[in-house]
Amino acid sequence: MVKVIREADFGQAEECALAVLDFSATWCGPCKMLAPVLEKLSEEMKGKAEFFKVDVDENPNLAVRFAIQSIPALIFLKNGKEVGREIGFKPEAALRSTLESFLG
Amino acid sequence: MTRYDVAIIGTGPAGLEAALTVKARNKSVLLIGPADLSAKVRKAHTIQNYLGLPNVSGREMQEAFLKHLESSEIKITDEQAKNIYAMGDYFAIQTGGADAMYEAETLILATGLPQTKGLPGEDLFLGKGVSYCATCDAALYRGKKAAVVGYAPKEEDEANFLAELAGEVLYFPQYAGEVRTVPAVKVIREKPVEILGDRSVRALKTDGGEYEADGIFILRETIAPDKLVPGLEIEADRVKVTPQTETNIPGCFAAGDIAGPPYQYIKAAGQGNAAALAAVRYLAAKRKQ
Ligand SMILES: Cc1cc2nc3c(=O)[nH]c(=O)nc-3n(C[C@H](O)[C@H](O)[C@H](O)COP(=O)(O)OP(=O)(O)OC[C@H]3O[C@@H](n4cnc5c(N)ncnc54)[C@H](O)[C@@H]3O)c2cc1C
Repeated sequence: MVKVIREADFGQAEECALAVLDFSATWCGPCKMLAPVLEKLSEEMKGKAEFFKVDVDENPNLAVRFAIQSIPALIFLKNGKEVGREIGFKPEAALRSTLESFLG
Repeated sequence: MTRYDVAIIGTGPAGLEAALTVKARNKSVLLIGPADLSAKVRKAHTIQNYLGLPNVSGREMQEAFLKHLESSEIKITDEQAKNIYAMGDYFAIQTGGADAMYEAETLILATGLPQTKGLPGEDLFLGKGVSYCATCDAALYRGKKAAVVGYAPKEEDEANFLAELAGEVLYFPQYAGEVRTVPAVKVIREKPVEILGDRSVRALKTDGGEYEADGIFILRETIAPDKLVPGLEIEADRVKVTPQTETNIPGCFAAGDIAGPPYQYIKAAGQGNAAALAAVRYLAAKRKQ
């Protein structure tokens, strides 16, 4: 499951061993296409990685904090520390191998 | 929504031969591209070395190809693929607005050689104000200022469509001849040279001046393959394929000029055939699982 997260409860994501933040917006076409891919990966990686959706319009401070300039943007956090990011739509297979590299 | 077995993008020899082969293998096929076929077929002077068609003109080749499609009952979807998403189990192909979507389990790219190099700044601002599809992204520019660079008269429709939503639309035709746009569209006959901005697009620079814009739509006949299909691996400006025409994305194949030299009609057709068979094999293996 991909959880919707806001600034107020962002601590949740920072506590995860591996968190995937999906910075997106309702008006963004590629974000809409990426959502089901992330949903599927989140089921596959249950217990290994937590997935969060961050709406950039509703959470401008998070967007600024992570210097988001283009969406969709995926940010990978290990115990709250950024370990990687992917900008733009990415195919499922590519995302899976990126995620696996972080689980290593 | 129908999910096709194979979607083929491009109506040159590579795409057409792929479509014939997929159809002959009894798989459903979606063929997207100009219904009057590739300009490289249509406009060729004479072709000496295509098997079975000695000394043909492009027109004659076009006619022969169309006849062959008709006899196999293959229809062409006369649209341009704007964005293609590798969803994992299938591909989503967008040709216009949010509802102009097609789905297919496998994808064959046969879009030929990209004709033009991008403008300076185009890559940098793609998705940050630069777009290749007015109908897809028009909603973002409600009340704002948009510049449209059109490389063919058919793009005038996109400019007209944008004018219904955007506050102001500037149209830069990159072809000779009359322009038929609605009065709300301002036509400027200048050549774009650069896209300017910092975090996002700010202006279009031309050989005649600088035009402020929130969004810049660049509408060409071809879109760079890695822009068309995000995540696609490119090598020396061509899509990287194995001898079996596989790309780095599972279920996505490429054939013809897009997959590298030699650039020849018969090679394109042959590779289209190989791609079709590879796609059919892929489907069979996937369904066995
Ligand atoms: C001047 C000239 C002379 C040539 N002479 C010869 C010759 O004598 N013999 C020979 O063998 N070869 C010749 N060639 C090469 C030949 O034209 C190409 O190798 C051949 O056309 C490649 O076929 P293709 O199917 O890969 O691509 P193309 O023929 O380029 O077809 C690509 C198709 O994809 C479509 N398309 C592109 N993007 C999209 C999109 N996003 N959505 C939908 N459709 C899209 C295009 O509109 C087009 O229909 C010549 C080429 C040139 C330029």
